Parts: sequence; C-alpha cells; structure tokens
Amino acid sequence: MLKIRSICLLQRRWKSGAKKRWNVLQNKKNNCDRALENFDDFYGSVYGSRWKNMRAALLTRHKYIAMVNNFGDTEQTCSMLEMDGAINMKSLINLALGRQQETTDTMPEQGKSRHEIESKLDSLLRKQQEREVAHIYPSSAEDGSATTLPQQLKYDNSQETQTEDVNQPIEQSLTRALEEDYRLDEHRLVDPQFGTGGLYEYMPAHSIKGMEDWVAESEHYKYYKTNADFPLTIEPEASFYFPEHLSLYTYEMGNCSDFKGPKKCLTGVLSHYLMDGASTLPPLFLQVKPGERVLDACASPGGKSLLMLQTLHLDQLVCNDVQESRINKLRKVLQEYLFDYKDRWACKRLIFSQSDARNLDQYEQFDKILVDVPCTTDRHVLNAQDNNIFKPTRIKERLRIPELQAGILANCLRLLRPGGSLVYSTCSLSPIQNDGVVHMALQKVFTEYGITATIKDLSQQTSLFSDIFKFDHPKGLKYGQMVVPFLPANFGPMYFSKITRNM
Amino acid sequence: MIRKLVFNAKVVLKQQPKFQLVKHLATNSESPKIVQLQQIHIDEAVKLEPNLSIFTSEVWRRAHETFQNHGLETGNFLRIVTGNPGVLRRTPDKIINSLEIWRACQFGENLLHLLLTKYPELLDVSDSHQLLSHIGFLKSRVSTSKNVWKLLMNSPDVIAQPEEVVEEKLNLMVDVMRLEVPEIVKSCALTLPFEELRCRHAFLLRLGLFKPRPLKADPDEPTTNPKLYQITDTSEKTFATKICHVTLPEFEAFKELYAKELEGKSRRSKEAEDLSDDED
Repeated sequence: MLKIRSICLLQRRWKSGAKKRWNVLQNKKNNCDRALENFDDFYGSVYGSRWKNMRAALLTRHKYIAMVNNFGDTEQTCSMLEMDGAINMKSLINLALGRQQETTDTMPEQGKSRHEIESKLDSLLRKQQEREVAHIYPSSAEDGSATTLPQQLKYDNSQETQTEDVNQPIEQSLTRALEEDYRLDEHRLVDPQFGTGGLYEYMPAHSIKGMEDWVAESEHYKYYKTNADFPLTIEPEASFYFPEHLSLYTYEMGNCSDFKGPKKCLTGVLSHYLMDGASTLPPLFLQVKPGERVLDACASPGGKSLLMLQTLHLDQLVCNDVQESRINKLRKVLQEYLFDYKDRWACKRLIFSQSDARNLDQYEQFDKILVDVPCTTDRHVLNAQDNNIFKPTRIKERLRIPELQAGILANCLRLLRPGGSLVYSTCSLSPIQNDGVVHMALQKVFTEYGITATIKDLSQQTSLFSDIFKFDHPKGLKYGQMVVPFLPANFGPMYFSKITRNM
Repeated sequence: MIRKLVFNAKVVLKQQPKFQLVKHLATNSESPKIVQLQQIHIDEAVKLEPNLSIFTSEVWRRAHETFQNHGLETGNFLRIVTGNPGVLRRTPDKIINSLEIWRACQFGENLLHLLLTKYPELLDVSDSHQLLSHIGFLKSRVSTSKNVWKLLMNSPDVIAQPEEVVEEKLNLMVDVMRLEVPEIVKSCALTLPFEELRCRHAFLLRLGLFKPRPLKADPDEPTTNPKLYQITDTSEKTFATKICHVTLPEFEAFKELYAKELEGKSRRSKEAEDLSDDED
C-alpha cells in the first residue's frame, strides 16, 4: 500500500512532535503521576514496606476472572475455559471448605491491630498539616522563628466563627468549610477618596490571598475517626455457600494467562464476562437467596449486577446509578448478556433507576443491597488519564469523596429492611474511604435515625478464597476485609464490609 | 567466529579457579618471575586442559617465545594457552598479527595483557577493521580508552554484539536510568539482553525503589537507587530478594506481565499506525 509518509519528505524536527528540552520534560506531570505521588505518601505511611509490593502490582496490568453466562452455551463455554487451563472457582472453594473442616483452628480476631493504623493516620495528618503550613510560610522554618506559626492553615476566615464551632460540636464538614470560603469580611468600609480600585484587591488580613478557594489535603485525613459513640457489634458470619449455578473461572496464583474474548452464543448473548476477580467477592458475600429483592446502589458498569443475576436466585434487582450515560452502559451490558432481555427482564425483574443513591427513598424495601460506591479507584487513576479524579480541577470532589460515600452508605442502611444486610465495597486501599466511611455512616444512621447495625466478620469466609486472592487480613482493618494487589494474583484492590441492619 | 568467542568468554568466566591454580604454580616456582618455560609447566597446563597434550615441545617453545617477545610473561602465556588451546596451533606470524590488532586499540601494554590473559578468546579476533570501528564506537560512548577497557573486562562479549544492540542498551542506561559512565563500565550490564535490563529497571521503578534523577541534578550527588552492578550482576533470585525485597514468584509474575504489556502496547501502536495511514 502506498503510504503518504513514504512520499512526503518530513523535516527531522517535525518528526518528533514533542519537545525534548529538559525543562519541558521535567514539567510534564500528568494526573497519574499526581495520583502516584499522593499514594506514595499516604499508603507508604499506612502500609509501610508492604506498599511497594502493592505499588508494583497496581502499576502492572491486572488479572481477570471469567464469569460464564448461564443464558448462553454454558457447557460449551465451561469446557472451552477448562481446555485453556482455567479452574472453576467453585471446586477450589469446595476443596478449601473440606480443608477447613479438617483443621478447625481459630482465626485471628478482627480489629486487633487497628491501633497501629490509627496512630499512622494521626501522624500522617500532622505531617500533611505541617507541610501545608511550611508551603505557605516557607521562610519561617529556615530563620527559626517558627513560634508563631499556626498549627494548621485556616482558609475559611474562621476567626469569628471559631467560637461558635466550639459551642456546637457539629462534625467537621468539608462542604460547610467550602461554603464559608466565599464569605469574605463585609464589615469594613473603604473610604471612596482612595478610589474603589482597592476594593477589588482588598482581602481581609487574616486570610491568605489567592487561597480563598483552596482546600487543604489534610482535610481529607480527618474523616478517619475512631471514637465509637454508637452501639456496635461485630460477630462472625455464620455460613457461606457458593451459588450452585454460578461458574467463575480463574487461573491459579502465579499463572498470568489471558482469557479468550467472549463469543456470541446460539441464543444471541455473549458467552462469558471478564471482570476483575476481586469484584466478584462483594456480590458473593451478599449471599443473595431465592425470592429476595435486591438493590445495586451504584451499578454501572454492571459486572456485579450481572453476577447476582447469574446466581439465578434473584426475584427483583433494582439497578441504580447517578448518570444517564452510566445507566446506558449498564443497560447495554445486560442486554448483551441476558437472553430475551426485552420480554423477560426489562421492567419486570430488572428495574433501572437513575438517581443519586443518597436520595433514594424506598425505605425498608430491600432485603439485600450492594453498595459499590464511587471511590478513588486506585488502579484506574494510576493507569488512565481520562476520567481521572486526581485531575487538579477535581480536587474538591476528590477530598469530599468520603462524605459522599458515607452519605450513600447511610442512606442505603435506611433502605434496608430490618434484618436485611448490605455489602459496602470500594476499590481503594485508603483506610479513610473504607473503615473510616463505614464508621461515619454507622454513626450517622444511629444519631439521626436510631438505626443500629451489626458488622459481619467475614474472615472465616475469606480464608476459603486465599488460594486465589491475597487478603490483607487481619492487619489494621476494623470492619471489613480487603483484597490487596499482589503480582502473582493481581486482583483488586477491593475492600468490602458486610453490615446487617438490626431488627 | 563471533559466536564462538561469546561462548568461550562464558566458559572462561567459569574457569577462573583454574587460572588461580596456574598462577599459584607460576608464583611457586623458584623465582617470582619465570622466564623459562619448563617441562613441569607444560605438564601442569596439560593436566588442566587435556587438549594441549597433542602439541610438541617445539610448538610450546615457539609460541612461548613469541608471547615473551611481545611482553607477556610465562605465567600469562600459560593462562592464555590453557584458556584458548587453539593459539598453539597458529604460526607465530598469526599470533603476532592478532596481538597487533589489539595493540591498535591503545589500551596500553599492561592493561592489554591483563585483558588478554583474562579472556584469551579475544585473540581469535581477526578482522582488525571491524574491531577498531567497534572500539571507536564504544569510546565515543564511554569517552576514554580506559573506560572501554573496563567495559571489556566486565563484559567481553560487547565486541561481538552489533552496534545497534549496544547503543540501545547504553541509551537506556544513560537517557532513561540517567546513569553516569563510571557506573556503567563497572557493571556487566552490557552482557545482559536489552529486554532483561529494561524489565529489571521497570520493576524497580514500579516498586518505587528506583527514582530517576532530576534532569539537572549534580551527577556526583549520592542517590538511594540501587547500584547498576546490583541490578545487573545478580541472579534472578538475588535480584528479587536482596535488591527488590520481594519474593521470586512476584518477580517472575512481573516479567511475564510486563512482556505481555509491551507486546500489547506495540500491537496497539502498530494498529494505530495502520489506521492513520488508511485515513491518509
């Protein structure tokens, strides 16, 4: 074929589009770099020397699990996957179950070493605050006059409001802090004889110019609270069964082979769905039983919803997501995988709803809820530039994530029928977005609605999966379990916590 | 010839203890400097390298004389012939020829003798033009003859690798890893295949153990990065456990995943290129 490039003579300097000067190269810092820097700092101090293993795994491509579509040529697909050397997860679980019955030694109890993580976060918060202060007052550290430095930066002109803050111990809300940013000092008068030009330049002396809009990174770390002023019980989950009709295929630890792409089956649907292995755990631990009404609060792109449908247990599944585009994506996936979608599924057993999960109001209507909240999606932000939450313009959104997550989780607790249970999951390693949010939400539902809940300790159950996944148990986790990225089994990260609403 | 040379270089590396023995023998004899080749030396050499038994004492004497005339001591001569018995089969003219080829590289007599004694296979080089241009290329990259010599002392197979291959590796070390020449010549990095070098570097980068130096940093400033010789002159197991502080399975998994990643990347860029050409 005739190529344009081989005809036209291109000057050498035009050939390489990018500049190669050192200062151009040095200044190039993209969203992924920003995310990595943040993680190095944060997770480095939380996980210590284990962080580097997770770091390498996060930056390397991840491993998939194949979920066989029960509405396609199931047996054919299973045999194809088995021919490629994949193993059915069900058989692995059964083996592990047998092994567990033989050796009934006690598992270490959850939350023993959580003090470790609290102190780490504390010191991290302090370090971050110091760094922010040093960033604004760079000279003071050098000339030694650090005595008058503020402990932490105040961006919200809070001199006069500070006293009120002490009187009414409302929990610190980032949203509120942001709103106050805009309230400038309006009490002073400017003499017109000096010209009104000064008005535009005027800033009250106790706030830092150019920083009115600023959000301190350290605000984020304050979400992790530890004082429990609500009744909290943690009890081990009693039973676990693997859904009879669900076939998940995976390669053993250390085997990095790829799966073949899905094919079209005789029934017109695709043969199998490839998803991150760790994403299968939250819906599995939700333990959906026949005849239950289930909500997937943040459903898109639909892997977890599809898994629950593949158990063939569901009576009705409500899939909710906040954006229409995400709902469309979800609908497309389900259409591709469910046989006779229009006649048998849409609007009957499968209901789509588009709303913010914090505003759903079908209270006490659901038996099971899957709360897979939006999070920093640690693997995604390190590897993809677009839709990256570490984009500088999204800093407020990023720092407010725990608040959003806690809001969603608290509302979902209200949607649960008493006795019903939900699984909260994130794909982040951050203890703030994980245990911190569970804590905040439990506190909120107790103080505002008087709802109490029980945390289910899944450590007994996760040990069944330890041949496939690497768990971060029991180090530092209070309320849940976490799959950590590990090169030979590069799944996750995935945190999940099972919460049952008390009767 | 070149392949043979590379192969021999590896064999020689394994035979280092043998040389120690010869050296021991050489120093143990009556005087610290032996100038005479005696029957006992020949016997010892034959014991080490049975192939040498076919040569007559006349051949031995002649070869010894040739080497001695060119400044190589008897001890060195013995090490060379045990390492590369083929030398004895050659006429003195041929031997002188190959010595001259190497002399033209201007490492200095002393260093040259050390190099040839360590890797006697280097005497098999016959194409002086090719060698000189290759040495010239290496010199342009590592700046001095002494550095080229150091490089050859550590990785003699460099002269058998095509220029592009060496260039690729040097570019990676200089531009991407931002290493200085002294560090490069001190390691066996150039013996490693490019893919292996890149993979080890990428692994360290992703672990966060290797931080690229700032572009305008002072090269003398000490870094916390592992040294190049630690990265390249170690077995896979030592590299994983001692340098990276991870388990071997993790490194093995990474190698596999990284190879796949690169393969996918090159395939994608190829597809994109085809696509853009179609659009044209």
